[in-house]
Amino acid sequence: MAFALKNLVRASLRAATVATALSMVLPAQAAAPAASFDPHNISGFWELPYDGRNIPQANLQPSVTPAVIAEHRAKDANSRRWCYFIGMPMAMDSPRPIDIRQSAHEVLVNFETRATPRHIYLDRKDNMLLDDYDFTSTGDSVGHWEGNTFVVTTVGIDGDKGLTLLPGGGFRTTDSKLTERYRLANNGNALIVTFTWEDPKVFKTPHTYAYRYTRAPKFYEVQTTLDCDPLDKERAEFFANPPSAK
Amino acid sequence: MPAHASLTNATIARRSPPAVRRFSRWLAIPITVAAGALGTVAPASAAQPAGGIPDLTGAWVRIDATGSGSFDNLAAGFPQASLTPAYAEQREREKKAGPRTGAWDPNKKYQNGEAYVVTAGTCGFPGGIEPNSAAFHIVQDRDEVVIVRENPGLGRNIYMDGRPHPDLKRFVPTATGHSVGRYEGGALVFETVGLTPGGVPAGGYKTPETVLVERYSLSPDGNRLTMRYTFTDPKIYTKPHTFEILAERGLPRQLAFEWYCDAADPKQSQGVAPPKQE
Repeated sequence: MAFALKNLVRASLRAATVATALSMVLPAQAAAPAASFDPHNISGFWELPYDGRNIPQANLQPSVTPAVIAEHRAKDANSRRWCYFIGMPMAMDSPRPIDIRQSAHEVLVNFETRATPRHIYLDRKDNMLLDDYDFTSTGDSVGHWEGNTFVVTTVGIDGDKGLTLLPGGGFRTTDSKLTERYRLANNGNALIVTFTWEDPKVFKTPHTYAYRYTRAPKFYEVQTTLDCDPLDKERAEFFANPPSAK
Repeated sequence: MPAHASLTNATIARRSPPAVRRFSRWLAIPITVAAGALGTVAPASAAQPAGGIPDLTGAWVRIDATGSGSFDNLAAGFPQASLTPAYAEQREREKKAGPRTGAWDPNKKYQNGEAYVVTAGTCGFPGGIEPNSAAFHIVQDRDEVVIVRENPGLGRNIYMDGRPHPDLKRFVPTATGHSVGRYEGGALVFETVGLTPGGVPAGGYKTPETVLVERYSLSPDGNRLTMRYTFTDPKIYTKPHTFEILAERGLPRQLAFEWYCDAADPKQSQGVAPPKQE
């Protein structure tokens, strides 16, 4: 009997502790207007419209000269010519909707372009140690929620793979770190993603820009991938020769 | 998947700090309690399927449980397709015609020193429905299950939102077709149409009109995935053509490897000429 009573007291104390903890959260939650969408579910097909980019000019280091930018431009042209995987961040600037799907362990971002999928892992807190990691065009990404914002940090993007020039100026290198912040807006029909690049060799201050995606229609169907044939001679000609007025 | 990739992933899994795993489990309890009380859903499980639905999410690797040594040998053990007489005749004609000049013919025994082309070198996205030797990753969401490979290939989009297949007259066939699915008896069951014409393991064939039903079911410990494929097409088969492929769950926290291909490298498209044997 005494044992049962002790258990009852323990259970009551546990319940009181949980109730106290919840009471610290509930008032704030109650004060907020009820959302008609789940702010923690960014799954869906998302389109980047022509008015979906807010891109300030990057604050570049003096060492990033026009000649250095020209080198990256040439490298990117070669990547396009040979259909290399687009990589981050330009994969996110897609002419087709991007497919974001959440599970308990990861958020997958899949593309209809020449880009490999992004795996954003939820079951670890830190990015991989880079000496353990085979660098890829999309890097190693981990994500977590801060309130209603899904925060993703990415490292390990191979500076030699894909498109390296960044929106707003500058470029990514193997040492760059990217932080993305995803937040639903417009009643769940818009997804605002801010991209912040840190790389002291390239930027004087972190370079931040934002995309605002709009949700694709409910029954959007994935289309045949926009593929790229590096051996197509007509296409190769298109790249090789400057445009002519004739 | 190249050996170095699996080694790296294994190393990564071994180095996963147990403290983080313990922390995650510890954190999961208060998050679940708080989320339930708030009438919302814990962030990590926002799109997690409800109970009774198999947890297929994660990395998977096709296995050779019978020691066949290659996919062709593995497929040789599948029940052979039972073809209609008309279709069997057509296949025979195609076999006699042989493959395109220079193309790799899996049915031919190559002589030593005889070159053949194994890849066009485009680093393209041929894709397909069965997993190949690379790992594949499944992500389950309420409205869609996505399966992606680690090497180029169309992802599989399995719509779970109740939509029907499109009218095939208005659908451009693809290597992965159009798939709609549901959960049934603890398994993921999905139906695919709109596939590009081509071969199917164990002597089968598919066209856009062929109906493929796949059933993904888990072993009781959740670590083995049985993928049962059933092709139905009255113009090709006298009875449904069924076979199974097994996969094993990847290591905890296994990273997705990125198969990278450089089409500018001429070696990508060179023929393979086995050296002469003494």
